[in-house]
Amino acid sequence: MSSPAPWDVPAPARSSSRKTAIIGVGETDYHVDYKAARAKAPGYELPTPESLAATAFERALRDSGLQREDIDGLSVSFLYGGPDAASTARTLGLKPRYLTQNGGIMAGPLQRVCADIIAGKCDTVAMVYAVASRAIGRQYGGEVYKGEAERTPSSYYYYHPWGWSSQAAHWAFVWRYYQAKYGLGEEDLGAVAVQLRKNAMLNPNAVMQAPLSIQDYLASRYIVRPLHLFDLCLVNDGGVCLIVRRADLARGLAHAPVLVAGWGESKIKGAKMHHLVREGLRPQLQDAGAQALEMAGVQLSDIQHFEGYDASTIHLISQLEGYGFVEPGGGLAFCKQGEMAVGGKLPVNVGGGMLSASYMHGWNHVAEITHQLRHDAGRRQIKDLEVSMFSLAQTDQAHPMIFVRGA
Amino acid sequence: MTRRRPDRVRGFGHDEFWAWCDKGELRLQRCANCGKLSWPVVKACEHCGHAELDWARMSGRAKVVSWCTFERDYYGGRLPIPWETILVELEEGALFISNPADFTWKDISLGMAVSLAFLDCEDSAGPFKLPVFARAKQ
Repeated sequence: MSSPAPWDVPAPARSSSRKTAIIGVGETDYHVDYKAARAKAPGYELPTPESLAATAFERALRDSGLQREDIDGLSVSFLYGGPDAASTARTLGLKPRYLTQNGGIMAGPLQRVCADIIAGKCDTVAMVYAVASRAIGRQYGGEVYKGEAERTPSSYYYYHPWGWSSQAAHWAFVWRYYQAKYGLGEEDLGAVAVQLRKNAMLNPNAVMQAPLSIQDYLASRYIVRPLHLFDLCLVNDGGVCLIVRRADLARGLAHAPVLVAGWGESKIKGAKMHHLVREGLRPQLQDAGAQALEMAGVQLSDIQHFEGYDASTIHLISQLEGYGFVEPGGGLAFCKQGEMAVGGKLPVNVGGGMLSASYMHGWNHVAEITHQLRHDAGRRQIKDLEVSMFSLAQTDQAHPMIFVRGA
Repeated sequence: MTRRRPDRVRGFGHDEFWAWCDKGELRLQRCANCGKLSWPVVKACEHCGHAELDWARMSGRAKVVSWCTFERDYYGGRLPIPWETILVELEEGALFISNPADFTWKDISLGMAVSLAFLDCEDSAGPFKLPVFARAKQ
């Protein structure tokens, strides 16, 4: 194991708070595209990262009300491969002075673009992300990542002789320990899947919009016992584009600017399984969360909306508890009481997250925050929303961000 | 239990780990500086970064911390489904992913005492001994 880089993101600083803003957002048609891919209608062509990114970009540009010439930066995040940044710029008809190939999942790309805008490298960046996970047949588990051109060993490859594999198996260990420690049952965790489906039913672009009852959850097959199918996120194709601009140039545009107020980062250094399974990443979430709050100059109690990386139901609960929104062991009762719904104490993943809406690796959560803070989220709008928190957390790291509504 | 297994990781550190297993000993890397154990294999201590490590023999006494059962086949039919796995805390403090030797998920409770056993296995590199865990004798 190599020692991790000290920072994946620029170090959080008060002086970088509210200096940049999201002024445009575009997403592909997750629901329609998922149905089309499943139906395999004659003439249907599988999407490519390029086609998905182009759709998301054109929509974000239109949403921002800017002209193509106003975009002087391009950041490209094709998680599972795609064209390089220069050829993407040509495809999109852009001539940016700032061009970056910028990771994949939402664990750093936005923070890096914000820092580069603050540093004066450019004023207005289109950030494009796309995945064609289904189109390439990507599977999560086993000895290699199936569906990739190169045979990429997975992070859990040490455990193959014991037949232990997949991201899902991490969350299964987390849930089994949590369940035993707090004396909970499957129906308690099922409440999270049911709540997120309810949220997705108010999102016309969510992949899954059919009602899901606790009985449906309990009757669903196990993937890695004790986790059911509905405890694990979707796999679907799509793209997201965010247009990010210097905050002082973000006023008087088509929408209220969504200011990037704070971020933080913390990674597990040693004893990964202990921190993940027995601590639910609490030390890392506490550390990174404190950094983000400090940078943003807000208190935890100021956060009115939370969007967390819901690779699994239990992982979302770990984040709620780890940041301190709920006491350890209390997350599932909080959910069952309806506190994660719009109108509850802390609305969570109100667009349906990755469990029911779209597996866009955190980009969909930031898109949801953008709509919520602009107050244009339609039927699922949180009333009088001013401050939202996003959390990208995986098995060994936490990257929270805080966004506020600008004037 | 299935003897034919997906391939072990070989190379730096791993070769030594499996060689100790073949002698019937479970040994993990222990840091000469902080005294803590690292697993899976590292080139420097995962806790303090110190490069000097030795191979410390584990007692084999352990407790079950978590467990999960694969109901979906990730290994192309080579391992039967359902497939049982456990996460144990070794007496010396490290957590170790393994298989139950003589019990299933239905028998497990949090903290259940287990003890080390070795199972004769084989992968594409040949026969080897795999560390697994059986119910502890009372």
